[in-house]
Amino acid sequence: MINAYILIHVKTGPSDKVIKEMRKIENIRKISIIAGDYDIIIRVEVKSLDKLLKVTNKIQMIEGVIKTTTHIIEKEIAL
Amino acid sequence: MKIRKKYLFYVLAFSSSIIAALISGIDAILNLYLKNPLVIGLSVFFMGVIISFLLTLFLSINYKGKSLGARTIDPTFKRIRLIKRQEIKYQLLSGAGNAILTIGYFALLVIIKDPSIVLPFSQVAILYLVIIEAVSEKDAPTLVEIQSSIIVTFGAILGSISLSGELSLEALVIVFLVINPGWVLLSVNQRKLKMMKIENKSNDALNIRLWNVIIACLFTSIFVLIYDYFQGTDNLFQAVLASFNYLGWLALIATGVFFSFIFYIRALGIGKASVTQAVKASVIIFIIPVSIILASFGIISPISTDPVLILIKVMGIVLMLLGIISFAITLTKAYVFIKMKPGYQIEETMQKLWDIKGVNRVCAVTGDYDFIIKIRTRTLVKGYERILRKLETIEAIKNYRWQSVLKDWEDI
Repeated sequence: MINAYILIHVKTGPSDKVIKEMRKIENIRKISIIAGDYDIIIRVEVKSLDKLLKVTNKIQMIEGVIKTTTHIIEKEIAL
Repeated sequence: MKIRKKYLFYVLAFSSSIIAALISGIDAILNLYLKNPLVIGLSVFFMGVIISFLLTLFLSINYKGKSLGARTIDPTFKRIRLIKRQEIKYQLLSGAGNAILTIGYFALLVIIKDPSIVLPFSQVAILYLVIIEAVSEKDAPTLVEIQSSIIVTFGAILGSISLSGELSLEALVIVFLVINPGWVLLSVNQRKLKMMKIENKSNDALNIRLWNVIIACLFTSIFVLIYDYFQGTDNLFQAVLASFNYLGWLALIATGVFFSFIFYIRALGIGKASVTQAVKASVIIFIIPVSIILASFGIISPISTDPVLILIKVMGIVLMLLGIISFAITLTKAYVFIKMKPGYQIEETMQKLWDIKGVNRVCAVTGDYDFIIKIRTRTLVKGYERILRKLETIEAIKNYRWQSVLKDWEDI
């Protein structure tokens, strides 16, 4: 299983539409709207890098998304 | 489907409460026929083991690549399985907690009879949990948490005031020294189990519940056996007999308790034990219609219509709701993106980050940043004082970016 965070910049405008589209995408485990350098952070869980590419592709196809940066998780400690 | 995580938590905790309220109504009916708490407790466990096993087995059926359980009540469930070695310690403790709590609860029900009076006092467990979490969990309770817990607890006690049911010293001892410590033992350990990774995947609520009820049944049987031996009674035999005589009622209770616990354990996987318990205290509200129905059938003594008493009850319920709401709206979450200086060990730095109170996830990642950490705190001030200032003392960190979460959704 590959887990990754994708950090997203979106155009100023109706962010709820972007979120609505993202909520339809499979393999996205979590979506958070954040305040800071980025606008949205999502957590993806996929079986292969190939699937990860498909997810990032789908995100980039959403109107309003300017840039995505993918961070693959190498190691994790969680509660 | 992705819904807001906060909603999911409340949906789970409230569902668990509603089922629990209905079940206590059935408990009161069963109490008419069975007066001995050891016999009721043990027969409930006997049936609990059978029903939990059958339900878990049924929910293990695979349908189009996913089990029925994963499709309906817990997405992390794959199939029924044996207990894992790493789970044994926590299962033994939570099983003991369940056994103590159940016998205590039925003993109290025999003394007081009306479940709407018995249940509220079980909610004092919230306070015990807040204290224990302050010691054991990574996040110390804030003023808001302490305030809300106290409000909920007192609300629960006020809501339970009744002219008909006087509280005896015996009942108070059972509440404070048996039922509540039992709850704490059960919920703290069930949370640990839910947080555990089994074969690199989140542990599922169904297997946790199944093994909990098996171990609790074992403990109760041993206790009853020893009790019978020294007292010369035949409670064990009576419990077996009761399991056959009241099969229908017991099966209904066991099924309800199974689902109530599945939702409760899943909620525990999201929120802290004290907060989950506080939301679950809403059972006090849901039990009122159940008590009215029971009273109208003459199963319990009639409910008082004294206006002062009703006013106190309403005040109690309002307090509880306020407490629950303030728990809900005061949680702040944030991501911190961190870059590291060269020449430092990644794993060592990860551990240092993890040691900061309030950090509940540390990920070493590829890309622009070296770490992404997730933070949960009740206030931003605490976020700065307890987390950022600690972060700044870690030498390996070159720079960091704090990103507050404004709203989030989670796959369920």
